[in-house]
Amino acid sequence: MLHDTLRFYPGGDRAVEVELGDGMVFTLNFTVHRLVAALREARIAAIEDLIPELASFQITYDPDRISYEDLIREVAAIYARIGADVSGALPSRLITMPVLYFDDQTSDCIADYTKAHPDKVADPDLLCRINGLEDRAALVRRHSGTEYWVAALGFWPGLCSLLSLNPNARITAPKYNPPRTWTPKGAIGIGGALCCIYPDRTPGGYQLIGRTPAPIFDGAQRLPAFRDSLALLRAGDRVRFRPVGAEECAWIDAEVAAGRYVHDIVEYQVFSVDRYLDWEKAQKAGVRA
Amino acid sequence: MTTGSVTVLKPGLETTVQELPGRIGYLEQGFPISGPFDSWSFRQANILVGNPRDTAALECQFLGPGLRFDRDLSVAVTGADMGPKLDGAPVPMWQTLRVRAGQTLELGPALTGARAYIAVSGGLDTPVVLGSRAVFHMARVGGQALVKDEVLPVGSPYASRGEILAIPEASRPRFSVDRRMEVEALAGPNDSWLDPASVEMFFSADWLVQAKSNRTGMRLTGPEFAFADRAINKKSDHGQDPSNIIDHGYPLGAVNLAGQTPIILVNDAPSTGGFINPFTVASAAFWKLAQARPGEVLRFRRIDREGAARLRAALDRVTSEGVAIRV
Repeated sequence: MLHDTLRFYPGGDRAVEVELGDGMVFTLNFTVHRLVAALREARIAAIEDLIPELASFQITYDPDRISYEDLIREVAAIYARIGADVSGALPSRLITMPVLYFDDQTSDCIADYTKAHPDKVADPDLLCRINGLEDRAALVRRHSGTEYWVAALGFWPGLCSLLSLNPNARITAPKYNPPRTWTPKGAIGIGGALCCIYPDRTPGGYQLIGRTPAPIFDGAQRLPAFRDSLALLRAGDRVRFRPVGAEECAWIDAEVAAGRYVHDIVEYQVFSVDRYLDWEKAQKAGVRA
Repeated sequence: MTTGSVTVLKPGLETTVQELPGRIGYLEQGFPISGPFDSWSFRQANILVGNPRDTAALECQFLGPGLRFDRDLSVAVTGADMGPKLDGAPVPMWQTLRVRAGQTLELGPALTGARAYIAVSGGLDTPVVLGSRAVFHMARVGGQALVKDEVLPVGSPYASRGEILAIPEASRPRFSVDRRMEVEALAGPNDSWLDPASVEMFFSADWLVQAKSNRTGMRLTGPEFAFADRAINKKSDHGQDPSNIIDHGYPLGAVNLAGQTPIILVNDAPSTGGFINPFTVASAAFWKLAQARPGEVLRFRRIDREGAARLRAALDRVTSEGVAIRV
C-alpha cells in the first residue's frame, strides 16, 4: 500500500508528481496530507502550487529558482524527518449536506443518458445490486450513515473526493463509460470507492443517487460560507449527508436563491486520528462478530 | 485606480481578460491556473503599450471582438492575424497604435494562428478574484467571456516616453504556414504506463488537432497506444481502463490519455483526474498550442529538462522590454 520510498515522476519542466503509495484508503491519504503540510511549513519559495490527492501529490515549481534535483532532495529529506506515521490530531470541520435522494434532476439526467445507452441500469439500482443492498431505502441508509473524509479536491473548482470513514459503509461503483456530457449542479455521485458532489453543471462519470440544494461552489461569493473562497470544502474537512424531503429541499433552494442560506458547519471539532483508527478497527470487528 | 474604459460592441468568440502569472495557489481547491494561452504574444502586446509585460489584457479566440475606447489610449494587437481595423481602416499588428476617445477597434476571424491579444496602456482593471484577474470563463471564475455592451475598466497608464514601438519580425512567434507545427515535449510523468514502442511512436507520429479543442484541452487524433504491463495488471483502485490511474494531479501541458484519445491539458484544464499523463509539453512551447488550429498537424520533439530550460530562457529574452524597437 505505502511505498518504501517516495517515487518522483517529473511532469514537464514545471511539475513533479510525488507518489507515496498505491491505493484509495484513509491512512495513505492522511500521510499525503501530513507531508504536504510539512512541505508548506518549509516555505520553499520556488513552490507555486501543491495538489494533495488520494495516494500522491503534485508540486508545481519555478525551475528558474530551484532545480528539479534540489526540489526532490528537499521533499525526500522532509519525508525522512516526519516519517509515515498515521497519528496525531488536527482541526477538521464537520459539514452536514442536505440531500434529496433520487430527485427529479438527477433522474432526468440518468434518463437522458439511457436514451443513447439503453443497456445502462439506472444508477441507484446498479449500486444496490453491486453492493448487496436490498432496495433504494437501504442505499440511502448506508450512504447517509457515515462521515466522509475530504481526501482531495480537483478536476473542477470545488469538486471533492470523499472517502467513507466507516469501513462498513463503503459503497463502490464502476464509472460511466462513456462519460455523461452533463450532470446537474449539486448532484451526488459514487465512482470507484469515492463519493463526490458536483459543484456545477459539468460532464461526469460517477453513478448518481441524489442532489444537495446546498452549494459547494459560489462564483459570486454571495453566501456567508464563501467569504474566503469560491469553494466550500478543503481537504481534511469531514462531510455528512442528511436525507431531506422534497419540501425541505425546495425551501433550501429558495434560501440559496435569496442569498440567505447558512451552511451547517461545525467549526470547533478536532479529529483524532489515533482514536479514529481504534474505532475503525472496532467497527470492522463488530461486523465479523 | 480606474481612469477610463473600453466598451464591448461585439464580444467575439469567448474573448476573455487574462493576466500573468495566472491564479497561483488554488489548484488544490480545483481552480485552474488560467492566464494567456500564448504568453509570447501576450507579453509583447503589453510591452508595446508601455505596460509591465504581465498586465491584464484581452485574449481573442478565432473571431475577435469590436471595442470602443472611451479615452485616448495606446493599444497593441499581437498573436493571430484577425485583420484589425481602427474606424474601418486596417492597422498594423505588433506595433503601438495611438487611439483617440470614441474610436473603434474591430477584429475579424483569424487568418493565421488562433489567438490574438489586445493590450491597452494602463491594463484592464477588472476585479481580482483569488489573487488574479485571469478569467476561467467556463466556471465564471474571475469573470466571464465578454458580452455585448459590457464596459471594461482601464487602469492608470504607466509612465511612458510616448514612443511608437514595434516588435521586429524576427522576434515574433512564427505561426504555421504549412498547417504543421513541431512542439517540444518531455516524457513523463506516466510514460512507464505505456509500452516503450508507444513512447517512441508518440514522438514520431503525426497528431491531428480535433475541432473539439478549447482552453481546457486540445484533443488529438493519431495512432493507437499499447500499454505496459503495469497499466493492465494493476489494483482495482486504479480503475478498469488501461489508461486509468488513481486520481492524481494533472501538470499544465500534460498529454492526458483518456482511453485512446490524447488530450493536451492547457490553461483552463482540470487540475486532477483519473487518467495517465505519459508526456508533458515544455512550458515554453505552450504558445504553439495556442496558435494551432483544428485540422493542423502536431509533431512532438522529445527534449529533456535542460532543453526546456534553454527554451524558457529564449522565450524570456524575446518577451523582455528591450525587444521592441522605436518606429
